[in-house]
Amino acid sequence: MIGFLNPLWLWALPLATVPLILHLVARRQPPTVPFPAVRYLQQVTRDHRRRLKLQHWLLLLVRTLLMLALLLAAAGPTVARDGLSGHAPAAMVLVLDNSPSSGAVTDGTAMLDRLRQAAGAVLDKATTEDALWLVTADGLARRAPVEVLRTVIDSLTPSEIRLDLGVAIAQARDILADEARPAEVVVLSDLQQSALSGVAIDAPVVVAVPAIVPPTNLGVAALDPGPQPWSPGDNRVRVRLLGDSGRSSPMAVRLGDRASRPQLASVGPVLEASIAASLPGWWPLTVELDPDEFRADDRRATLVRVIPVAKAQWAPSNAYLAAAAMTLREGGRLQDGREVTLGWLGPGASVVEPPADIAELGSINRALERRGVPWRYGGPVVREELSDSGRLLPPVRVARRLRLSYAGGAARGVEATVGGEPWIVRAGEVVLLGSRLDPTWTGLPTSAAFVPLIDALANRLVRGEQELLNGAPGAPVQLPDDVDEVTREGRTWRVEGGAAWRPPATGVYLLQSGPDTLGALAVNLDPRESELATASRAQIEALWSGARLVSLDRVAEASFAAGARGHLRTPLLWLALLLGLIEMGLASFQRRTA
Amino acid sequence: MATTHGAARLDLLDPFEVSRLGGLEVVTEGLVEGFLAGLHRSPRRGFSVEFAEHRMYQPGDELRYVDWKLLGRKDRLYVKQFEEETNLRAMIVLDASRSMDWSGAPGSRLTKFEYARRLSAALSLVLLRQRDATGLVAFDETVRLTLPPRVSRAHWMRLATALGALQPGHMTAAAPALQGVVERLRRRGLVVFISDLLLDQASALHALKFLRHRGHSVLVLHVLDPGELELDGPAEVRFEDPETAAAVVLRPRDWAEVYRKTVSDAIAEWRVRLRREGIRYHAIRTDLPFGRALREALVRPGGIA
Repeated sequence: MIGFLNPLWLWALPLATVPLILHLVARRQPPTVPFPAVRYLQQVTRDHRRRLKLQHWLLLLVRTLLMLALLLAAAGPTVARDGLSGHAPAAMVLVLDNSPSSGAVTDGTAMLDRLRQAAGAVLDKATTEDALWLVTADGLARRAPVEVLRTVIDSLTPSEIRLDLGVAIAQARDILADEARPAEVVVLSDLQQSALSGVAIDAPVVVAVPAIVPPTNLGVAALDPGPQPWSPGDNRVRVRLLGDSGRSSPMAVRLGDRASRPQLASVGPVLEASIAASLPGWWPLTVELDPDEFRADDRRATLVRVIPVAKAQWAPSNAYLAAAAMTLREGGRLQDGREVTLGWLGPGASVVEPPADIAELGSINRALERRGVPWRYGGPVVREELSDSGRLLPPVRVARRLRLSYAGGAARGVEATVGGEPWIVRAGEVVLLGSRLDPTWTGLPTSAAFVPLIDALANRLVRGEQELLNGAPGAPVQLPDDVDEVTREGRTWRVEGGAAWRPPATGVYLLQSGPDTLGALAVNLDPRESELATASRAQIEALWSGARLVSLDRVAEASFAAGARGHLRTPLLWLALLLGLIEMGLASFQRRTA
Repeated sequence: MATTHGAARLDLLDPFEVSRLGGLEVVTEGLVEGFLAGLHRSPRRGFSVEFAEHRMYQPGDELRYVDWKLLGRKDRLYVKQFEEETNLRAMIVLDASRSMDWSGAPGSRLTKFEYARRLSAALSLVLLRQRDATGLVAFDETVRLTLPPRVSRAHWMRLATALGALQPGHMTAAAPALQGVVERLRRRGLVVFISDLLLDQASALHALKFLRHRGHSVLVLHVLDPGELELDGPAEVRFEDPETAAAVVLRPRDWAEVYRKTVSDAIAEWRVRLRREGIRYHAIRTDLPFGRALREALVRPGGIA
């Protein structure tokens, strides 16, 4: 099949008919001239007309072919060169999936090594005239000469960043969109089911299908330390495993140097472990399985804050708040005291409700001003709404609320919103609620999220601390507003509070606001990496309709198929030259012999 | 009026310039005066029983031809002249077909018909001045005009008037006209056939051969416009025969060479075939001065015609 380097020129192909059109137009209306000696012309043309007519049509044919040859040459046609070695200069994007799952070992060889070997074989066919890109799990598209790419590939290690193959193919497609040379995408991957996503295939895509059964795997998909902060004493940890059912592994949970009681874990229900915390502070919490063929997901880590529970006071008159506080006290999450005031603006940390009487707004706002809190209560909003979903709360009904306005530049400390407007805000150790904790104001007091909210407000937010964030390498994480630095093991990243940030690797990151640690970000492997099951050919063909599937060990043969085509431009230009010479000869001969 | 004593001899002027000078008679007079000034005058005398005209008595004339009755009426001596004193009976056969009404350079060159008409007038005057009885036949597809040969000076006026009134006709059929000439010229004489020869060659040749067979001297003046001799122009043109409406579409540039050769061959063929029959042939281009054309056509060793 013929392909074209510059297919836009094909639109100009009708220009090849210009000689014919000129011929027809010229024939249509020649001017009539009286000429008595027509008999001589008749005699002349009678003798020569057949020959000249033949010459004329031949000339027309030659001119049309000449135009056609030039236009086709401009379009850069290529044809398959079956049986011939080498290929025309081509453009290729090599998608090499070095996502964490590529580190899985089968028969003593890591999948990445097999992919690297296949990539090397593909690069062996590349020439210096080819345009080559390498796309790996980090999402970068590197364009480099073949030898440089070979070095890059040889030095590749399994990345901690998950690669969505659909996104990678779309990226490759965009790279090749403006490429004039025969373009091709070669996908070298373990073809995890979870890595495939749908994408429109409008460029030649060769997908290498490894004929290897992935190893059975058991990995830690989630580590949930429960409500933060922890208080000294026993705390419960929840662990979820992913992988092949029927396989089990000893699981160890550690908080700093302390380990929980070992237990045998397997895929199934969420596992719980109890571990004792003693000294206040930030403590690493890890869960670890015995090593298997896929090591990257055998360990998961996070950070927990250990601090004594808040000593709080609350107004018994607010039945819902009081009930929640007592529940927390019974659960050991609150103690009686004056450290935190729940319901009104106290002398220290406070969770403030709007006043029942709107006439008290002025005095509350003045008190807030005196405390240096930049937030103020404003006018009432009475309409049925749902709060916006966020980290702090699921959506809850809001019937009445007071507007909260920020008195100084860009608002900071917004913890929950309704219709995009601040509803729960924090400034220092003061948290303002936009609605009273009363069912006539909001459905929050009667929702399941109420008690955890009061726990988070009393133990964490009023102390200026954020919840524990979780993320995956390379995946964006929405940072809290107050964060301006992220640190990990002595390395610091300057960040913009409220913006998304992509952690580069697994580990535990501290979220800083100046010298204060506001929270932590636990970055672990994307849990989907633990599912090593590969996609079937049918699944691949369904998602990537039009892609060419070849076995991994034959991908090199199949690569550069788009470029393994002979260029017709040069022969066409030679043909055009030849036709031009024939045209000149014919025209000259016709004039001379007519 | 241009004369032989004028600044320029009309017979040597460009035909188009000559055509702008005045009426056919006047112009022709000028042409012939100029033409004859370069030749010897040859007023040949002869007498016959057929009265032609009077002329003033000149010393040496025989007294028996003095018209005594006219002397009595006018008190001047005139002598009678008779038809038989002319040496020749000439017939000019003029092609007045549509093909003659064409010029390759309209506005700057005479049509073939205009040229031939002037040539006929000049030729007839030359012949009449030589005391040769001269007649005229004009034809297209039929005989349009016939003036029998006469020798009087007044006859030239009739010839000139008839030529002036003659308009180009339609098709061409020379044979009937030439056969008519046979009937008009009972004795051997001169037939001058003026045509562009865009006619049926076989029948025309047959008629001309017949004239020759009857003992007549035949002179064919082939009138050619330079535009007929060459093709020019790069763009495709539809050439249409004004007589037959036959048309040929071609690009002149592509055919110029072969056309030139074809026309040249056609002229050569006429010349050869006519001369083979003892018929004199002259190709005359309409851009040639009349004097040159007349000289080439009429002058031969020993005298005119």
